[in-house]
Amino acid sequence: MLSLKLPPGRSRLSLAGRVMLLVGLTLALSFLLLGTVIDHLMRQHFARQDASELAVVAESVRSILAQQPPEAELARLQAALQRAVVGHHGVYFALYSRTDQLLYLAQGPDLGPLLHTRVQSRLDPELLQPWQAQGHSYRGIALSSTLSDGQEVKLLLAGKMDFHLQFIAKFRQTLWLIMACAWLLTMISAWLAITWGHRPLLLLSRQIRSISADRLDIRLQPERVPAELKELVVAFNAMITQVESGFRRLTHFSADIAHELRTPLTNLATQAQVALSQSRSNDEYREILYSGLEEYERLTKMVGDMLWLAKTDNGLIVPNLTRLTLQTEILALFDYFEPWAEEAGVRLTLAGQASLQGDRDMLRRALSNLLANAIKYSQAHTKISVTLEQGPALVGIRITNQGAPLTQAQLARLFDRFYRADPARPGSGDSSGLGLAIVKSIIEVHKGSISVDSHLGLTSFSLSLPRG
Amino acid sequence: MGEMMRILLVEDEKKIGDYLQKGLEEAGFRVQLCRNGLDGYHRAITESFELLILDVMLPDIDGWQLLQQLREAKHTTPVLFLTARDSLEDKVKGLELGADDYLVKPFAFAELLARVRSLLRRGLRQVLPDELQVDDLLLDIPRRRASRGNSRIHLTGREFTLLEFLVRHRGEVLPRSLIASQVWDMNFDSDTNVIDVAIRRLRAKIDDPFPTKLIHTVRGMGYRLDIEEPC
Repeated sequence: MLSLKLPPGRSRLSLAGRVMLLVGLTLALSFLLLGTVIDHLMRQHFARQDASELAVVAESVRSILAQQPPEAELARLQAALQRAVVGHHGVYFALYSRTDQLLYLAQGPDLGPLLHTRVQSRLDPELLQPWQAQGHSYRGIALSSTLSDGQEVKLLLAGKMDFHLQFIAKFRQTLWLIMACAWLLTMISAWLAITWGHRPLLLLSRQIRSISADRLDIRLQPERVPAELKELVVAFNAMITQVESGFRRLTHFSADIAHELRTPLTNLATQAQVALSQSRSNDEYREILYSGLEEYERLTKMVGDMLWLAKTDNGLIVPNLTRLTLQTEILALFDYFEPWAEEAGVRLTLAGQASLQGDRDMLRRALSNLLANAIKYSQAHTKISVTLEQGPALVGIRITNQGAPLTQAQLARLFDRFYRADPARPGSGDSSGLGLAIVKSIIEVHKGSISVDSHLGLTSFSLSLPRG
Repeated sequence: MGEMMRILLVEDEKKIGDYLQKGLEEAGFRVQLCRNGLDGYHRAITESFELLILDVMLPDIDGWQLLQQLREAKHTTPVLFLTARDSLEDKVKGLELGADDYLVKPFAFAELLARVRSLLRRGLRQVLPDELQVDDLLLDIPRRRASRGNSRIHLTGREFTLLEFLVRHRGEVLPRSLIASQVWDMNFDSDTNVIDVAIRRLRAKIDDPFPTKLIHTVRGMGYRLDIEEPC
């Protein structure tokens, strides 16, 4: 059994765990970034708003100062200045001389902290200085200003920020709460999506579990799984189909083996029992031993052939490839079969030429089985023709003989193990019924193909082999 | 092969060992049978044999090891391996280690006998004669001509090769697979019909017209060429 073993002490995250971790982290990071950006933009917005408010007041104070004659009464100046902040709630200002002598202070907080900051000529939002006093927050700036007589004074301006700060705090709270909820919701839906998405896999594995050696006919249904799994299901079905046909062949093969072995074993046992039932002459014993020997030979050949087939089934036969000139090989086989063919009244002819990379002994065995077959089933006074054809990638070998036609059903089973097209035929007694199966296995070991057809009394075996 | 040749047989399977010993002794060899590798090794280096027959699968040390030890000790006695395995790899391994021949179980006893004889002959370094004779059958090897008594027999090239093979192995039972392999270079179990037909045609030329028959069928085993049929 193949199993995946993890090293001890290291557990692996599940697929769902991995996705959740990744989604969670990414989402949290983007929410954090979004929140920070919104927060920053809002502070900036309020700072600008405060600055523009202060700018209006500064403008009006400066114009009042510039308009007032130097000898104007203080009371009148104060009244004028008072008016400058009317309508601007929470804005305060004070005037100081260059030597930091207080000239004017409207009602409001002490603007002293601004006195020590740099005097600015312009009012920019970035230049505003925040501070706290008596439980309130302020933001202010020191500006330079000129009186009508040309005297330089300092104008300290400040606005109360409490309202804005409260709003920001409230907004921030809401914002982070919403984001946390959104994060949680997304995570839950992601988890559900993954679980739901994995359901087809779970169902598939349940279906696969129900497949066993006696239920190899079960197939998964590709139309009932999501598109992504379709390919997997189709591939799995193809695999099961191959396993099933292999299994079926093996089962039949075993049954056939048992049947094929039973006949000679029965013969041998019966013979020995009858022989031992009374005393016999030496000649009779010798006869019995000879007959037994023939059965043993048949058994040995059958077992050898079956072993060969079992090996090719398991990919244990590796061809020993050399360059072969096929006409030479065929002529050598003709030389071997000539006496038998002549006796059977059959002529052997060869046409064409071809060469390929192949295992000499194996191909000789395959071709000899086919030729023997052709001679055995040929009518007298006919010819067996072997045609060679050299293609760019493939080599074709065609062996044709004239004989009794074979039906489609016979042709379809011709390469099956232990199949004999004509079981009653004399002379097939010493053939194991494995000859053509061996031919096929040899051709397959060479990555070629073989087919047979029977037409108008001509039976043709066509082999196609890679040139190599 | 006039004097008795000594063969050491190392085989752990009781029945096969006994039968091989019996068969080889009846074929005229003196056989020392050992049931395990260590005994076999001991005998092989203390006594003298013309041939060793080793089973690959032995209970203590296997045939490969035994052969390796022998070759390291500079023993050059020819070795024939018996094995149930028949993969090319095993064959290569055996021959690399210095085995002289190789036979896959199950084998025909006649084939074993033929191989044993040919290994022993190899050791003798006989000068191949130009003429071979059995009874009145005469083979002129260089000119590839055959005759019986005064009558010339016309044979095809392949028929002559077959006859020469039978004559050279005079008296030995030659299995059909060995004949196919040696005469036609067909190294697989093929239809036995072919050899039977070839022999029948050869017989028609060298035996049928003459009173003394030379080629004999040994049922269930093969063919044998000799003057008279043994009972």
